[in-house]
Amino acid sequence: MEIDTQTVSMPQSDAQAVFEKEFMPHLDAMYNFALRLTNDEDDAQDLVQDTCMKAFRFIDSFEPGTYAKAWLFRILKNNFINDYRKKSRGPAKVEFEWVEQSFSGDEDQEPASHADLHAETVNEMLGDEITAAIQALPVDFRMIIILCDLEEFSYEEMARILDIPIGTVRSRLHRARAILKESLAGYAKSKGYH
Amino acid sequence: MKKTCTHQPDCLKLIQRILDREATPEEEAAFLANKEQCLPCQEGYELEQSLRKAIKSSCSSKCPEALFARIKAKLFVVLILISILIPLFC
Repeated sequence: MEIDTQTVSMPQSDAQAVFEKEFMPHLDAMYNFALRLTNDEDDAQDLVQDTCMKAFRFIDSFEPGTYAKAWLFRILKNNFINDYRKKSRGPAKVEFEWVEQSFSGDEDQEPASHADLHAETVNEMLGDEITAAIQALPVDFRMIIILCDLEEFSYEEMARILDIPIGTVRSRLHRARAILKESLAGYAKSKGYH
Repeated sequence: MKKTCTHQPDCLKLIQRILDREATPEEEAAFLANKEQCLPCQEGYELEQSLRKAIKSSCSSKCPEALFARIKAKLFVVLILISILIPLFC
């Protein structure tokens, strides 16, 4: 076990208290984020555990009173990019694999077409179908949709977590949603949803 | 009611900012008043709402109890080791 005693300089009882009070309540959200990023339960558990140990190691750089969840998510995201991204699993279902091909890579470019998708169709879809469509998105798009729609971070917090300008948060989010809608519209059509 | 919207791309961006809690109260009030007269804006708003609801209900997972316990145990071991090692080197 790697231990760096130099980085934890606050009294241990304080460090433990900060950890339990500020960090542990966010474990569900961290695990869910890790699971969406890795597509694998074991990898997600390892990623959360590594993130917690790293957060404890660098607990001195956390300012009590600031938003612990955003701080933890930033560590988790960096950890994922550095250690887990290469081995993360592919899309959950083959039906959505074409989504990757439709991604041009230019985030500022407007979506090419408007998806023919209605609220009623989305309401009819099964949870697994929505999950599969999300999991099939390129990871940067998946990440920003989860941060915004599920975790309800503000654009400013997402910019800090992802280390990108706020304008890129807006354009990436807009594009991610356009691709998701296109994907769901194509899937709904192929499955005969109205 | 309008059947077409001439500024649909801008309206869609505004709808998303409203639902993302990033629009000003004035922008939100102006849009909501206009929405009643514009079918594409109404449908766009409902679709964006449905998507967020679907994502929330289908993409939530709880942290396994075993992982929670493992992290607490690992933290406990680290704290014990620190309390033994620090006096040795100080």
